[in-house]
Parts: sequence; structure tokens; C-alpha cells
Amino acid sequence: ITEEKTQKHLPDNTAFKQQRLPAWAPILSAKSTLPIFFIVSIAFVPIGVVLLVTSEAVVEFQYDYTDCIINQSSMTQPCTCVINITLGTSMDGNVYAYYGLTNFFQNHRRYVKSRDDNQLFGVHVATTSVSTSCAPYNLFNDNGTIRPIAPCGAIANSMFNDTFTFSQGSAQVPIVRTGIAWPTDYSVKFNNPFPTNDLDQAFSQYAKPSNWQKPVQSLDRNLSTNNGYKNEAFIVWMRTAAFSHFRKPYGILNRVAGYTNGLPSGQYTLLVDYNFPVTAFGGRKRFILSTTSWMGGKNSFLGVAYIVFGGMCFIGGILLTMIHLHARNTREMSLISRLHH
Amino acid sequence: HSAAVSQHDTGTRTIYFNQPLEEQKFLKNEISTGKYNFVTFLPLFLFEQFRKIFNIFFLIICILQQIPGISPTGKYTTIVPLAFILTVAAIKETVEDYKRHKADGAVNNRKVEIFRDGRFVELAWTEVVVGDIVKVVSGKFFPADLVLLSSSEPQAMCYIETANLDGETNLKIRQGLPATSKIQSTEDMLQVRGMIECETPNRNLYSFTGSIKLHDDRLLPLGPDQILLRGAMLRNTKWIYGVVVYTGHESKLMKNANRAPLKMSNVDRTTNMQIWFLMAILLVISLASAIGSEVWKKETTKRWYLNDTGTGAKGFFMELLTFIILYNNLVPISLLVTLEVVKFIQAIFINSDLDMYHEETDTPAMARTSNLNEELGQVKYIFSDKTGTLTENIMEFKKCSIGGVKYGEFGDGYREDCSDRPNSDFYDEAFIENLQTNSQVRDFLTMMSVCHTVVPERASKYQSSSPDENAIVRAARNLGFVFCVRTPTHVVVRANGKEDSYEVLNVLEFNSTRKRMSVIVRAPDGRILLMCKGADNVIYERLSDKSQFLFETENHLRDYAQDGLRTLCFAQAVLDEADYKVWNDTVYYEASTAVIDRDIKLAHAYEAIEKNLFLLGASAIEDKLQQGVPETIATLAKADIKIWVLTGDKQETAINIAYSTHLINNEMALVLLNDSTAEKTKQTMEEAITEIGQEFLRQENEVALVVTGATLQHALHTDLESTFLDLALSCKAVVCCRVSPMQKAMIVELVKKNCQAITLAIGDGANDVSMIQAAHVGVGISGQEGLQAANSSDYSIAQFCYLQKLLLVHGAWNYNRLTKCILFSFYKNICLYLIELWFAFYNGFSGQILFDRWTISFYNVFFTALPPFTLGLFERTCSSKVMLKYPQLYSISQSASKYNAKVFWAMFLNATIHSLMLFYMPAFSLYNEIAFSNGQVGGYLFLGNFVYTFTVFTVCLKAGLESSTWTILTHIAVWGSFAIWLIFFGVYSHVFSILPLGAEMLGQADIVMSSPVFWLGMLLVPPSVLFRDLLWKVFRRRFRKSVVEEVQEMEMENIDPQKTILAAARQSQTDSDLQLQEERGRSGSLRSLQDTNHGYAFSQEEGGVVSQSDLIRQYNTAAQESS
Repeated sequence: ITEEKTQKHLPDNTAFKQQRLPAWAPILSAKSTLPIFFIVSIAFVPIGVVLLVTSEAVVEFQYDYTDCIINQSSMTQPCTCVINITLGTSMDGNVYAYYGLTNFFQNHRRYVKSRDDNQLFGVHVATTSVSTSCAPYNLFNDNGTIRPIAPCGAIANSMFNDTFTFSQGSAQVPIVRTGIAWPTDYSVKFNNPFPTNDLDQAFSQYAKPSNWQKPVQSLDRNLSTNNGYKNEAFIVWMRTAAFSHFRKPYGILNRVAGYTNGLPSGQYTLLVDYNFPVTAFGGRKRFILSTTSWMGGKNSFLGVAYIVFGGMCFIGGILLTMIHLHARNTREMSLISRLHH
Repeated sequence: HSAAVSQHDTGTRTIYFNQPLEEQKFLKNEISTGKYNFVTFLPLFLFEQFRKIFNIFFLIICILQQIPGISPTGKYTTIVPLAFILTVAAIKETVEDYKRHKADGAVNNRKVEIFRDGRFVELAWTEVVVGDIVKVVSGKFFPADLVLLSSSEPQAMCYIETANLDGETNLKIRQGLPATSKIQSTEDMLQVRGMIECETPNRNLYSFTGSIKLHDDRLLPLGPDQILLRGAMLRNTKWIYGVVVYTGHESKLMKNANRAPLKMSNVDRTTNMQIWFLMAILLVISLASAIGSEVWKKETTKRWYLNDTGTGAKGFFMELLTFIILYNNLVPISLLVTLEVVKFIQAIFINSDLDMYHEETDTPAMARTSNLNEELGQVKYIFSDKTGTLTENIMEFKKCSIGGVKYGEFGDGYREDCSDRPNSDFYDEAFIENLQTNSQVRDFLTMMSVCHTVVPERASKYQSSSPDENAIVRAARNLGFVFCVRTPTHVVVRANGKEDSYEVLNVLEFNSTRKRMSVIVRAPDGRILLMCKGADNVIYERLSDKSQFLFETENHLRDYAQDGLRTLCFAQAVLDEADYKVWNDTVYYEASTAVIDRDIKLAHAYEAIEKNLFLLGASAIEDKLQQGVPETIATLAKADIKIWVLTGDKQETAINIAYSTHLINNEMALVLLNDSTAEKTKQTMEEAITEIGQEFLRQENEVALVVTGATLQHALHTDLESTFLDLALSCKAVVCCRVSPMQKAMIVELVKKNCQAITLAIGDGANDVSMIQAAHVGVGISGQEGLQAANSSDYSIAQFCYLQKLLLVHGAWNYNRLTKCILFSFYKNICLYLIELWFAFYNGFSGQILFDRWTISFYNVFFTALPPFTLGLFERTCSSKVMLKYPQLYSISQSASKYNAKVFWAMFLNATIHSLMLFYMPAFSLYNEIAFSNGQVGGYLFLGNFVYTFTVFTVCLKAGLESSTWTILTHIAVWGSFAIWLIFFGVYSHVFSILPLGAEMLGQADIVMSSPVFWLGMLLVPPSVLFRDLLWKVFRRRFRKSVVEEVQEMEMENIDPQKTILAAARQSQTDSDLQLQEERGRSGSLRSLQDTNHGYAFSQEEGGVVSQSDLIRQYNTAAQESS
């Protein structure tokens, strides 16, 4: 008992409290690190080459059609322009059509927040409950009755509404406007309000965004399921881009008869329904066709970066080797001189 | 009960004891050093927290976020982490305060006997109230300030030990008034009624004025001789009765204990500075962004898709606020709480260190504050108390020299051989043999047992106000000369089976001017002997020509002095009966009855008879050092820590201890400052400075400085302050003796103010409290009961030698850990949040965030919270064994080379480059947006999650790179943090389907992780970001290898690193070697001072209430001896 009493305050003899946790103490000497540098360089340079080759294999076609009509007057008057396109090489495999915008700040803070995710989730919003973050694109005064705008907000209001008709000779190249949105966006985030089987009724109490020509339930005339908030072009637009220079998917080549291998090279015609005004703020618009590789579109950055980093590691490794050899020499020398003493 | 008190406005308090009068409340006898109680906790805690600029900053951010429309990150993203962090801080505060309350409770619940309802009952200290009569027994502390009524000793005398209060070794005598001394029993006590009038509580330890009135007698004056202070201990006295006058925080001791000042460590100050820098940077980039936003707005009225013309547009100021909120996390919100928790756990490491656990007293080390853990790694000056800190305050008779022969040289060896012998440190076979044959040895022993003012107690214990005499008498007893009885006129010594009675004719008292004491006795054979012991120089002056072995004895004395032993010379003379009679009847009689200048006249009278002495020999008494003190001092000196000894004790004692601890050695020159006037002090100091040489000022010279308190008074005066400092800093060792507690603090302040060095004060007694509080770090010696210093200290340890581990291991480690932890915390935040700035260039300075708002705000509290902890707790460049073996390693933390403005800005630049890479590499990887083989593109948050994930991974790896040692917990922190983010990412990406939260994040994890670009980036970005850091480390190890790294490698290769260290030291001090040699030459003239030191030291109360000669006349122990 006395033993216990006298040792009442004896600290615990645990590895943690006594700071005796087993520890690995790596010494970052030239000798121990130079293999890392060489291994990394040996691994990264080939990866970079593979990535570059992969990127090079991607065929991409871009056309800036901003200036195809000079005298565009107003949003409501549809204009068209016809552009002749020559594909020098064939585009094999899946071909994706994009529209590209430049100097369009989809990443502006007040733009990004100007949406009502609750509304897009399929919840009916009243004039009082439509998100204020949509203001001033939240309510519409329809001859004295205030109605909520569906979909509300600046993003929806400024939705890209040029349409492309791509044809080879007289035959239209089949481009489907679905399969371009993220699966989770399509299946979870964007839902039509009740009743989902009758969109006209579902949206009857709402006003269309002021810049829109057509209400949200009739965005796609060709495919009735691709309407309302579930319209994929709309969903794609709603996911705002990171930079003011961006592209968004327009559609995918339907690889039916004649296009089973992709787009053959040759002459094509692009018919643009020119609705989306960009010249006012100095923006540009592009039409893009691209194939993809396993890692996405054409982008040589990763390949180059891998090669450069691999190369730097190699140089680093060489330097370390030299250092190491030099250090060993000096130590041996000093050892020798010590022995002589 | 029957005590009553009242306090007047006039500055006195009146205390009635043993009187059934109405009670008036005074302070409870309860001390409380806790910061909070239940009621005050919340307001005080919040006040403490929001006193810090850091927390105010985040509070302001919280408030700003509530303004609609300006916050880019929502309303709650700062308040949630802030609340979390405050909660952690509150838990920590609670735990710490609970400990303080517990420690207070232990003191408050000590037991004492209180006179209640006609009898003494044992109650807790808290029950003691003003006016109570208490009984305190030997070896116990006084529970409050008492007025002594009576004691078990004659004439109400008692001995008290005040080492705790003033650091003095000798016991003090207090004496009650004759009127109260008759109260000897409970029955007597019942008869007593009384009233005491005294000053209101004050902090003056050495004064007390009051008066006492018993029954209806006249008032009798009370003075400091009747007061027994809380903090002192009753010694050599069976019991005392006392009336309580001041209690609890009104006691003089507690009045002197200032509330511990809030100390801030050097690292904390630097960190604060850096937080200000960061805030300034934050303001600058916010301003720049706001201006950018204005410029951008001007150009873009045509951006029809934005609602710039609508309600969205805001003024410049609002934009500025937006950016401040956006970038606010540049200041790491979790930093303070991380540091608090890290320090708290570091303190646990200190508390539970088995190497600092003292088994005998069951005392572990204790960090009373965790604020200063890293300050322990930067100490440059140690100010140490002597008594109780360096020494154990135990005197042992160690050696002696009789007739030119040394005895006891091998005294230490006996314990193993003959452990059945009486417990004494002195034993020598030769001595025992010579005792039979050599009469001089016998005379010496006789003198040891006769020439003193000790009073024997029961059970062969002795009481004396002089620990030296006590040791001598005990040694004589162990050698067979047992001093057993003292009567008012005789001492009886039992030797060789017979009792010899010596009649004590005169006691020629000791004082520090005389440096000797003598007794004149009539030996059993009828001779009159004068026995005189004292300092060698005063004895030698008075030796007769017949004395022998003067030279040998002097040599021996020098040897003893070198070992730091306290020496006394023993001499005696046989007086002629007639001569003595003349002297006693005329010279002595006149002097002792003189009305004017009695002391001087007595000294002359003593002088007249203390002559023609025959030298018997010399004694050497050891003032026992605490375990390992010299080794510790040597080790600390190697770590370039200067040690100054500040003691309330006498100069001789202090010098002896300086020798025995090897602080001073014979190689060193000694400068004594012992002048009574400012002019002389100045002159001496200037002479010494000239001697040392101007060009060597403030460098370490082989010179020791000894200063006395009286001289310090002048030296610390503003005019001489800098001269004194010049001199003191030029000396290798500094010893200040007879210094008051206030002077101790002043010396510490002086160095603190002028040297920009970290100071540490260590002591055990109440007299050290002010110094402990003044120093950057205060260390208290704990283990003995009631050690006031420990309670006001920042760290308490049981032994001085634990200082080694506390500083060299814990201090150095903690510094290294904490600074790495801080730098890393800054780094990780700059890395992530500067990315928002780069992104601002691409989103029109709109304040859009690249990441989800909650992932941002959880960055600090979850995803990168662990790595700073591993750095702060487990980082270890060298093992504790190595740290102790090579004290030179301490200089790394001591010189703050790892944490200063330069290091901070280097880190800032590095973090900026990292954040640029972390933003642009993923941005370029996703430049054409198509990140999937199915042609789909991402969005801004898609990029954001790339960047965020890479950043978390990079930052975790960087923490790993900064770790010198990887424990299992490091692995958990590095990989675990990343895993936590991935799990959170996965879960958060699916929350929107359940809760209206994180709509933007919906599906991100699946999409991001299904992109090959993401995985390719993951493989490329973090390594390339850290490429330079790694390469740099390797290069630095090769080209600018630090001592630590060298030692690490050598340890691994089993080469003795001592060579490296010596070489490094030599390289940096090539010149000083030469200087050193020069100095040795130069300091020759100074050294002569030191040759005269023969280690004389003797302590006894001087000028006390009862003189030594009166004291011994009052005892008659014959009665108890026979019983």
C-alpha cells in the first residue's frame, strides 16, 4: 500500500507519453534521394510521350463564326448564316460538336450565384419563394400579374441559343443533342416540376426568361423528353465554366449509316441560327468539332509537363550523383589523411 | 465560536480572541490561484479570447458575412469553424483551471489545530479565521500570519525556518511576550481573554506593529519578533500557540505574490507580428482586387448577361469587404487553437517525463502554463537561487584537518562498507586511531562538542539557529563525543563512557564582522579554556607563536575551499585564572553593561581576550548540493547558457557554493563588489572593466563577479546600470549575495531589458517569486511542501538537474516543433487561399470562389488540421539522448535561427510559387475543357476540385517532407488527412439529393475521379510542386549542412560527433581562443583576490530577538535527559 502511495504521481510509462513512439527518420542525402529522381524521370518521360501522342491523335476542328453576320440588329430577329467547311482529315470514332465562347464571364460571382437550385430540382416556387439570388431575373410582370420566371436567374436568362445545322451536300449530318450533360446533373439535380408528363401544365404558372424566344418546356422541338429543366443543352449551360474562354458540348454525331466511322473528310456546310449576341462586349463564338481520346480532348499540356518534369528529375538526379560522388571522394580523402596521421 | 474582529477605517484592525463577541467577517483563509469559477467562466473566457486581435479579426469576418450580398462564401462559413475553435480553447482552459483549483485545494485542506469551544480540534486551513488561536507543531507550516503567544520552549521562544520566505539558511528565533508566555495548556487558554490591535494587511515581510491587551491590563507592544508568517515553518520547537491576524490572501506572503503575469513567448510575439503582416497582405490584395473590379466594371457595361445595372452592382467599399471575406483565410483561423492544443500536449509530455520524476518526493515535473514551452528552447540566461535550489539546505561535517593531517578524505566510501555506523558523512579510520593517541585530535573533538550555542533535544537531536554548529555537534556525537545536556551554566559531554561537565563562563558571540565565536569554559580539570572558531584569517591573526602546522592547515583550507566546502578554523587558549578574572570583571563587565555602543565595546572586549590562540585545526562542512548540480551547470554552460546565482545568503556561503558547483574555479579571476557607497562601487567596477579590457567587454572572460546586495543597490541605480551590466556580461560567472527579492527581480529585468535574450529564473522560496515572475520563464522547485515559488512558476521541477532535460530536450524540441507547426500552418493557408487571387484575374475580380464554400471553411479544421499537430508534437531532429550528449545543439533554438522574419518571407515566397503552380497546372491541363473520353466538359467547380484535391495532397506531403521523423501518427496525419478529404468529397457530392446543400458539388466526386486528367494531374502536380523543396533540402544537406544533420548522420554511422561539434565550435571561435590565452595572462592581477579565499562560511542568526549567549542560559535539558 505504501508503495502505491509514494508512487501516486508516477507518470505513465507509455511510448506516447515518454515520446518513444517508433519512428522512421529518413535522411535526405544525395545518395538516398537520387534513385527517386531517376525512377521518376524514367517513369514520367514515357508517360509524357504517350500523352503527347494521344493528344496528337485527337482531331479537332474550330471555326470562329462571330463575324458571319455583321449587321445583327436585335435578339428577337433570327438571322442565319451559311458557312462552308472543309475537313482536311477524317474524324474517326465519336465526334463531338461544341460551341465555344470567348470573353464571356460565366465565372462572374453575381452570375454564378444567379440561379435557384431548388427550382431546378423540380420544386414549384411561388413569387415569394423564388430565390432572391436570381434577382433581377426572378420575377416577371405579365400585364399586372407578377409571375416567377422559370428557370430564373442570369445564367438561364443568358443561355446560348444559336443552333447549328451541319450538312454534307444536301444530307444533314445527324447530331443528337443528348448525352452531353453529366449523368448526376441529369438524373438528380435537374427535375421538372409536377406534373412531369405534362410540361405545359407544369410550367403554366411561370414566365419564360426575358431573353428566351421559347419557354423552357419547348426548348427541343425534335425530342419531347429533352425539354423543361431536363433539357441537356440547358443543363450543360447551367454548369458554369471556369474561364471566360470556354466551350460547351452541343451534340454528338449519331454514327448511323454513312457516319459509322465518324466524320469523313470533305466539304460540309454549317448553317447557323444566329441569335446569341456577343459583339457588344467583344466576345467571340466558335463552332468546334472534336474527336476524343481516352483522356479527353486535344491538349498537349499534360504530355509536355510530364516530359519536362521527367527531364528536370533526370537533371536533378545527375546533379545529385555528382554531389554524391564528390562527397564520397572528400570523405575518403579525409579518411585517408586521418589514417596517415 | 468565540472570536471577533473589527476593522477600523483608520488603518488598523482590532482582533478579539477568546471572546464571545459578534463576529465580523474577514477574508477566508483560503487561497485561490484559479482564473475562473462557474459564474465568471463564460464572460472572462470570451473576454480573454476576444482580447486577441486574431479572434477579433475572425469575429469581424463573421459579422461582415451577415451583410447580405457581399459574402462570396455564405453566412456561416466562418462562424462555424470559429465556434469549433473557441470550444476547443474552452475545453483546454477548463482542464487547466481545474488543475489549479485542485492544487489550491491541497493547500487549503491542510490540517491545523484550532482552539474551538474550549479545546483544540484539528481542522482544515480554510477553517482558520482571524482571531482564532491555533496550535502549530514542529515541522509544520503556519496556516496564516500569527502573533506568537507562547511555545513549548523557555520564555515563549521558537525557531522558525524562513528559507521559503527569504532564502536564508539559518533558523530564526521568535519570542512571545512574557505576558502571554505562561499560556501552556488548554486550561490556561480557557482563562485568556484578549485583544490585538494591528496594522491592516500589507506586504512588508519585515515589519509589523501592533499591540496586545490581555484581560484589562495595559496595552503591550507587538513587533516583528512576535509575528509568525504564513510560508514559514516551525522548527526545533514542539509547539506554539498563536493568534491569527491575517488570513488567506491578506497574509503577508500572499500579499507579495502578485498574480502571475501573462507571459508571452518570443515565438508568440514573432507569430503575432507575422499575423499582422498577413493581415496587411490581405488588405493589400483585397484593395488591389477591389480596384481591379472597378476597372473591370468600367469596361463592361455592355455585358448584358450580367446584372451590373441591376441590384447587383455595389460600391467600391462593398467590393473591398467582399474581397476581405474572400481572402480572410490567408490568416489561418485554426492557428491559435492548433498552437494551444499542441502546447497543451507538449506540456503533458513535460509532465509525464519519467526522467524528470523525483521518486523520493513523488513529484513529477509540471508545466503550470503551456504558453512558454518553446521559450524553454531559447534560454540564454539562468538566474538561480541558491538555498533549496542548488543546495538541499542540509549541512554535513565532511572533513577536517587536525595538526596538519587531513581526515575524512575518503569519507564517501564508507556507506557501502559499514552501513551499520551512525548515519554521518564523516568517517575515517585514521581519525579513530589518532583519537586514542593524539591529544590535539581529542582537543579538537572536545571543542566541537563544547564550543557552540546548540541546545540538545530529545532523541539525540539538536536545535540551533546555525546549521553549521548543528553539523559540527552531530559529527562530534557520531565520533563518540556526545553533547547531551545543557544547563544554564554547564554543558555536559559524554565521551569514553564518562560525562564531562564544562562550565560555560562566557559566550563571545558570532557576528559577520568578527567572523568568529568563542566560548570561555572551565574544563573538568579546572583549567579555563578559551575556544575560538571562525574564519581562517581572523584566527590566524590571533595565533600564538607556539601554533604549529600553520602552513599545512592553510593548504588544506585551500583544498577545501576549492571543493566548495565551508571551512572554520578551530583554536583554543588556556587562560590564566587571574587574567581571566580581570578581564571578566572589568573589561567585559563594562562593555556588557554599557548603554552606548554596547556592540562595539563588546567587540573590543572580546578582542582583548581572543589572543595567543593555539591552532587545533580546521573543519570542512558541506552545504549539500542537490543531485547532479555541478554536472548540470557544466552541461548548461556548454549550451551557451549563462548562469547567475542570486541568493539572499551570505557572500561566503554563496562563493562556496559557486566553487562546489564549479561555477567558479581557480582558473578564474574574481571581482568582488562589496562597497557601501555609489562612488566606491563605480570606482571598483571601472577598475575591473579596465582590468578586463574594453575590447573584451560583454564577451565571456574567465572572470567571476561577486556582488553583494548593498552594492547592488548602487550598481542598479540608473547611472551605474550600464557599467554594471558591462561588467557582469563580461564575466563567466556572476554571483549576487544578500540580495532582496526585489533586487533579484531587478537584476532579471536589467538583463531582460538590455540583452534581448531569453531569461529563466529558478528558485524555490517565496523570495524567488518576484524574480520568477519577472523572468521570461520562471521555474520553481517543487516537491517540498509549501514551496511558494512552485505555485507562481511557469514550470516546476523537483530537482535543479532536471533543468537539463527541460531545456535541452523539451525546450529545444518544443521550439523546433512549434515553429515548424506555425510555419506550416501559414504555408498551407497561403498555398490554398492565394489561389483565389489568381482566379480573381480570370473572373473579372468579382470575388467568385474557385471551390465550394464549405470545403474552403473545413480546410483548416479537418482536411489539413492533423499535419500541423504531427509537426508540433512528434517532430524530432535528434533523440533526447543525443540532445543531452551534445548541448551545443541547443544553440539552434537559442538563436532563433529557424523562425524569424527571413524564414517567414522565404516561406511566403515558396507558398506563393506553390499556389501559382497548383492553380495553373490544373488550369492548363483542362484548357480545352474536354476532360473525358465521352466528350463532356467540366465547369469552374470541376477545376476547383482538381485544384483543391491537389492542394490538400501537396500540403500533406509537404508536412511529410518537413518531418524529420515519421511516427505512425505522422503517417495517419499525412495520408489520413488526404483520405478524410476524399471521403468528405465523396459524401458531400451526394448530399444535395437529401439536403438542400451543396447543389454545386452534386456528383463532383464521381465526375472528377472518373476523369483521367485528374489522375494524371494527381501524379504530376504534387511532385512537381515539391520538386524544388526536396532538391533544396538535399543540396542544403550537402553544401550547408547544419550541425543537427551532421550529428544525425554521424550517429547513424557510429562516428563520434563530438569532433564535428568541436570543429564547428572552433571554426566560429578561432579568434577567441587566442583571446582566451591573452586573458589568462591579463587577469593575473585580478586573481590575487581569490587566493585569499579559504572557504570560510558560517551562518547564524545575528541581531535576533534573543542573543545566543542569553539563549543558552535559558535551557536546562538535564531534566529531560534524566527522564
